[in-house]
Amino acid sequence: MMTFLKLAWRNIWRNKRRTMITISAIVFAVLAAIVMQSMNRGSYEVMIDRMVSFSTGYLQVQDYRYDSEASLDNAFHYDDALREKVLGADPRITIVVPRLETFMLAANDVSTRGAIVFGVKPEKEQDFNQIGNYLAEGRFVEANEQAVVMGKGLADRLQLGVGDTLALIGQGRFGMSASGLFEITGLIEHPIHDMNNSAVFLPLGTAQELLSAEGHITGLLISVQQARQTDAVARSLRSTLEDSELVVFTWPELMPELLELMEMDLAVPRLLTVVLYVVIGLGFFGTVLTMTMERLREFGVLLSVGMKRGSLSLVLLIETLIISVMAVTSGIVLSWVLLKLVDPITLSGDAAQAVIDMGFDPIIPMSFAPDQFFIQGLYVFLIALLVFLFPLIKVLRLNILEAARS
Amino acid sequence: MTIVRTEKLSKVYNADTVPVHALNNVCIEIDEGEFTALRGPSGSGKTTLLNMIGGLDKPTEGKVFINGEEISKMKDSQRIDFRLRNIGFVFQHYNLIPVFTAAENVAFIMMLQGRDKREIQERTNKLLDQVGLGDRKDARPAQLSGGQQQRVAVARALASEPRFILADEPTANLDTKAAMNLLDIMEKMNREQSITFVFSTHDQRVIDRARRVITMVDGAIDQDEIQDPDNTQAG
Repeated sequence: MMTFLKLAWRNIWRNKRRTMITISAIVFAVLAAIVMQSMNRGSYEVMIDRMVSFSTGYLQVQDYRYDSEASLDNAFHYDDALREKVLGADPRITIVVPRLETFMLAANDVSTRGAIVFGVKPEKEQDFNQIGNYLAEGRFVEANEQAVVMGKGLADRLQLGVGDTLALIGQGRFGMSASGLFEITGLIEHPIHDMNNSAVFLPLGTAQELLSAEGHITGLLISVQQARQTDAVARSLRSTLEDSELVVFTWPELMPELLELMEMDLAVPRLLTVVLYVVIGLGFFGTVLTMTMERLREFGVLLSVGMKRGSLSLVLLIETLIISVMAVTSGIVLSWVLLKLVDPITLSGDAAQAVIDMGFDPIIPMSFAPDQFFIQGLYVFLIALLVFLFPLIKVLRLNILEAARS
Repeated sequence: MTIVRTEKLSKVYNADTVPVHALNNVCIEIDEGEFTALRGPSGSGKTTLLNMIGGLDKPTEGKVFINGEEISKMKDSQRIDFRLRNIGFVFQHYNLIPVFTAAENVAFIMMLQGRDKREIQERTNKLLDQVGLGDRKDARPAQLSGGQQQRVAVARALASEPRFILADEPTANLDTKAAMNLLDIMEKMNREQSITFVFSTHDQRVIDRARRVITMVDGAIDQDEIQDPDNTQAG
């Protein structure tokens, strides 16, 4: 085997320039594909992380009716027993966060705005998404306090500030009227644009009292150790809760529109990657074709003196793999270094303002998800196998005498 | 002891279009220890006969026996393995592996046979010493002269300890000095180690040194004569 490796290694360096050009082309393709994907995924990872942290959780337990009718009437009873049951369903569950969510009118003394009202457990919320870190002014509410924290955008629209009073008007559970006056203890510069313009946070107990929903919540948000464990934990939870009226949703199930949007957005880079690899694959094929055709006579001699066709094919496969492994490794290392150097790309000027207006930081973060690196290696490996078919067929069909005469 | 035997060997190329009869009912026997030259004009069938004997091509009709085994009915993979263990080849254009050194070219055949590493090394050194290239072991083919390359090819052919060696025009690309040097080496091996050599050749220098000369014309054996090479050379 070592002799075959040595033979293959020396063969690929017979024409150094040709081999280097081929390797460089593959390195470029790998680099371009990874950087393209990393930029897209980096932005999406931030977006998903925010949506998961502030909106859905990696998993969410709801009453089975809530998904089709998001009403307080479909809230469910939540107590320590349920909390322990959920936590005990899977050791990979790290935090459970209860929320009571509804729409109300938020008003000052002259005008009203629509608001999404969240009843939250302040300390749990802080553990879950560090919402306190986004305080622009004041402080976050404390448990059972008759006070609110609201999005700064909403506060600005209502011309309210810390220390002012906010009126919440709406409907509670089972049609009960719900209204109350709450002191504003703080303003949140919420990282999600829409939430900044509409969110009001109350302590859970206060919200339950306001909405005649004592002991009830609309959703139990769940965090897991790693995002990739979401589906497995969902299976455990569903099994634990199968005898109840509660259902479990994963974050992709809770925001399918966002995922569809991302998939559509990723279609162009994916198409570009395919085009890139087709071009590079043809270049690679050209090199292997030349390396094969110019050595037919040599192949004939090797078969004459007793080298098996399988062994000769193995040498050619090793040659193809060496080229692809060197190219992929270089491409991955180079792209990793490049991504580290530029991460994150800070936007400026109009582009930065446009992104800020959409509710995001004016940066393009890079993704370092391992699979985007390995998948390029897999693609090149598959291309190498495809390209290898030519010399393989050539060797298996080689007529020794014709080859010796070539 | 007979090493090579052919029975009514025929080869027809382009049988479907314009048939070319390269061999017609050739029957020969070659015994162990012979130093035989196949001669004849171009197209007489000597290379075709050599290819049949070497298992590189299959006859249209007839049989080829090597050491009693019918090589002509073997499958491709069986013939490759048979060649590896029984036949050594020396080609007109040397055909060494250009990326291997002289020693690696010789060792490669033994590696294919699955021999022990130490045995390979010892035998490689011995063979290169025998062909006078003990000091050029690490040279690549491009760094060797034609004569030196052909001597490496002879060492490679001997590496597998074959039953016999087939040499197709081995001196055709060599100058007189290199050709005579090569013939000296092959003759010495034949005499001292009873290695059987069969050449196809146009080269009178080779024919003069052969002890048996088979003349082929139009795909058939025209003459088969035993000669005294000492007298031929002297003459």
